[in-house]
Amino acid sequence: MMAEEWTLHVSPGAANDPVFVGVGEIPTGKFPDRGFIQALTKVALLALKDAGMVPRDIDTIMLIPNLHGAADQADLVFSRMVEELGIHGTCKSSYMIHSGGSTSDNAVRAAHGLIATGHAQNILVLQCERWGSADLNEMITMLSKNGIPGEWELPSGIQFNAIGAMITRRYMHASGSSAADMASVCVTLRNWANLNENAMYYTKPLTVEQVLASRMVADPLHSYECPPMADGACAFVMTNTANAKKRGITNAVRVAGSGGCVSHYCLSQERDQAVLGWPLAAERAWNQSGWGPQDADIAEIYDSYAAVTTIAIEGIGIAAKGEGARWFAAGNGNPGGKLPTNTNGGLLSAGHTGVGGGTALLVEGIRQLLHRAPDKRQVENCQKAIIGGSGGSYMDAQILLLERTKLGA
Amino acid sequence: MKMPTIVSEFRAGLANGQLLIQNCTDCEQPNMWPRYACPHCQSENLGWRVSGGKGSLHSFCVLRQGAPEGFEEDLPYAIGVVKLDEGVQLAVRLVPDAPGDWESYSCDDRVEFLAVSAEQIEKRPVATFRRVGG
Repeated sequence: MMAEEWTLHVSPGAANDPVFVGVGEIPTGKFPDRGFIQALTKVALLALKDAGMVPRDIDTIMLIPNLHGAADQADLVFSRMVEELGIHGTCKSSYMIHSGGSTSDNAVRAAHGLIATGHAQNILVLQCERWGSADLNEMITMLSKNGIPGEWELPSGIQFNAIGAMITRRYMHASGSSAADMASVCVTLRNWANLNENAMYYTKPLTVEQVLASRMVADPLHSYECPPMADGACAFVMTNTANAKKRGITNAVRVAGSGGCVSHYCLSQERDQAVLGWPLAAERAWNQSGWGPQDADIAEIYDSYAAVTTIAIEGIGIAAKGEGARWFAAGNGNPGGKLPTNTNGGLLSAGHTGVGGGTALLVEGIRQLLHRAPDKRQVENCQKAIIGGSGGSYMDAQILLLERTKLGA
Repeated sequence: MKMPTIVSEFRAGLANGQLLIQNCTDCEQPNMWPRYACPHCQSENLGWRVSGGKGSLHSFCVLRQGAPEGFEEDLPYAIGVVKLDEGVQLAVRLVPDAPGDWESYSCDDRVEFLAVSAEQIEKRPVATFRRVGG
């Protein structure tokens, strides 16, 4: 299918051009004593401080859902954070966006539209997940219902690792990638996590040999190739360019374009598990932005399994068709590599925080473009980033193209 | 809620040893999974045809740990996605070469539907496939 032209109706420097101006994050891992609302409050304040704002400046709160519990979800939906931040009485609206792992990409689209059209001025996007502290069996059972039709596929006993394993096997078959090639993706991510104090595996190095020696969980996936479920929280702030300038902000991050494709609901209906929706999503993103894959300084691509990322970078055109895993094995995504990829360690090494995994990658991309990552992992002169997300049973491929922008005085 | 007819009839087919594919009476396109309206022509005149039961194995996995609740006793088990010759796809269980062993299977293998007992379908309403010549 040929992608159509979709014009972005805002341009760099325009008064209504939406920009990212701050991010907040707390460590990802197992923190059973760190409360849900406590964590949300913390990242909200960190992001606001980073943006040079106070809670009262926020008119719209946009919530990223959690997957660990319905009671906490209800707190999010019914505006608890508005009251916790003390902006009840002035906050215009507070609500949730949800498309699983691609939520952050869709939240950006929603916030971008609200700001550009004037429905919102200063938006705070909040995410918190407590997967690391949740009951593992309960989470496995819960996850066997996400992107899996209860009447048609659940009776097969399918769950999330089985979905990741099938995609991995098809990808390895189509590309001729070896088990060591696939494991090298996990090692690249770990190399980045070793530079990120907020990552679950900050202090633990990893080798290909260790990955291949770990127990087989869902052939062909070893346990070290399955995402570690984690607690985590992050946040970001968006505003319009005129307001950012008024606040004295000189450098920010804007959206150059986006592309997406929902290729299926359940995995059995995907025509090619080694391709998914990435080629069409990428074509749409290039059409809207005028960019190509060669323009990016970093990539932050959803990585709940190695194959999810290798398939994405092939569809995006970062690696040649069939070469995604070998691209990682050659070190291209590493610190100091050709295209630094998933510079926070990704879901596989920073930790899988449910819907938050994609949000953390987005926040890392914004942080890198704002030049606010710690020195040891800040990519020099980082100007352009490709953000990629996917939800459910890899139902969609979502691409955001973000760029650093100078706002002037 | 009562089980929808498209679900109960599909499962009754499996219990009778038949793999049914939904068939649109108007545009004659096959649909899988079965739908409430034809996704090709939006007709609600939908019936069934019996699949030839042959296809290719797009991908599969062997789950060894972490079964969803109620599936623990099945471990290990293999799940596959089959592209039927009729042009539709479905998720299936694969017959092992020997208990716990699916080594002979590869992507794109020719596979065929295997009828199982009504009791088994009652417990696990899912189609079973095996490698052709396996």
